[in-house]
Amino acid sequence: MPFSTITTPEARPVANYKMATRQEGGQLLYISGQVARDTNGNVVGTGDMRTQARAVFQNLRQVLQAAGGDLKDLMKITTYITNIEHFPALAEVRSEVFQGELPASTLIVVKSLFHPDFLIEVEGIAAI
Amino acid sequence: MDRRDILPERPVERGRGYMPGVSVNPSRILFTAGLTGRHPDGSLVAGGMAPQTHRAFERLQAVLARAGAKFEDAIKQLTYVTDLDAYNADGRSERAKFFGSSRSASTGLVVRRLADPAMLIEVELVVDLQGSPQGKPLLEKYNAEDHGGDFYQGVIVNGGRLIYLAGQVANNPDGSVAGVGDLRRQAEKVYENIGHVLRAAGATPGSAVKETTWVLSIDAWRQQGTPVRRAFYNGDYPASTLVEIPGLARPEFLVEIELIAAVA
Repeated sequence: MPFSTITTPEARPVANYKMATRQEGGQLLYISGQVARDTNGNVVGTGDMRTQARAVFQNLRQVLQAAGGDLKDLMKITTYITNIEHFPALAEVRSEVFQGELPASTLIVVKSLFHPDFLIEVEGIAAI
Repeated sequence: MDRRDILPERPVERGRGYMPGVSVNPSRILFTAGLTGRHPDGSLVAGGMAPQTHRAFERLQAVLARAGAKFEDAIKQLTYVTDLDAYNADGRSERAKFFGSSRSASTGLVVRRLADPAMLIEVELVVDLQGSPQGKPLLEKYNAEDHGGDFYQGVIVNGGRLIYLAGQVANNPDGSVAGVGDLRRQAEKVYENIGHVLRAAGATPGSAVKETTWVLSIDAWRQQGTPVRRAFYNGDYPASTLVEIPGLARPEFLVEIELIAAVA
């Protein structure tokens, strides 16, 4: 692995994610905020967090794979949602998508994303 | 250096002015603070979104120039706006004047408030720099203008290992929340947690490169959080962004702070 995971008993994550990661080598990959668009650019899953979240992580994975990596190479993700009430549905999809522990992670509720139909946007940083 | 554009022709992003992913072999990386449409004296430029966007990019350009970089060297941009319609109408075209046809990875967010209630846009960049880190200090923190704020406008990491912290909240090791309803206590706990994580990673507060502070109230943060933050950094600030948003992962959380740091 071109990165290591930082742990300390004095500060623990509040959920199943890594507290911090440190890049040890490889390429540093910055991934744009991924949204629920299909390959033609159309919005999918209007009003439906589960469908949007699946599409977002699929898009994220596609970028990682194109860079020669996969979800396991993510050091950090930031998830922006527009309504905290969608969080349980998102958490469900996230645990389907990630086997085991999530990367270092941040969750923020924003006023909106750059299209009124988007419920979620996820950006990532990976070491490959 | 060794920049690779990932999926440059994916239809989702085609024509949208950004790249799905950009990777580099991290040799020298510049992190900028979130910059806004302020004059050096702190006042906002008049005239709304177009002049504010122009000014924010003009200031970024100065920060890039100090590091010998151009917008085409940016690998990631994060744009915060408080009014999406105004950005689409008047901001995008100003941005395009600076970025031209170059494309970085990008995220855009609509937030509740920026540092000043009249502020409409704030932009931060991650930039891949030319040159070798040999013989340079690990971190170069600098300002392109004398802004008087508690942050640096640019921090260059010369050849170090980058550390990405999860967003830090005011939780105790047993998972309970410290300082429910008490922002000052939460600020103390968040920085205490950051201190522990940095130490575990072989770093110190001065190793911080970029900080993003997400709060439910900027006014309350200035009163109760800023003194705690000042004591933590003791003048050795990172490049920073402060943003007001409507919510965090749990209703008790009043602040969440993300940090990028670096060690040799």
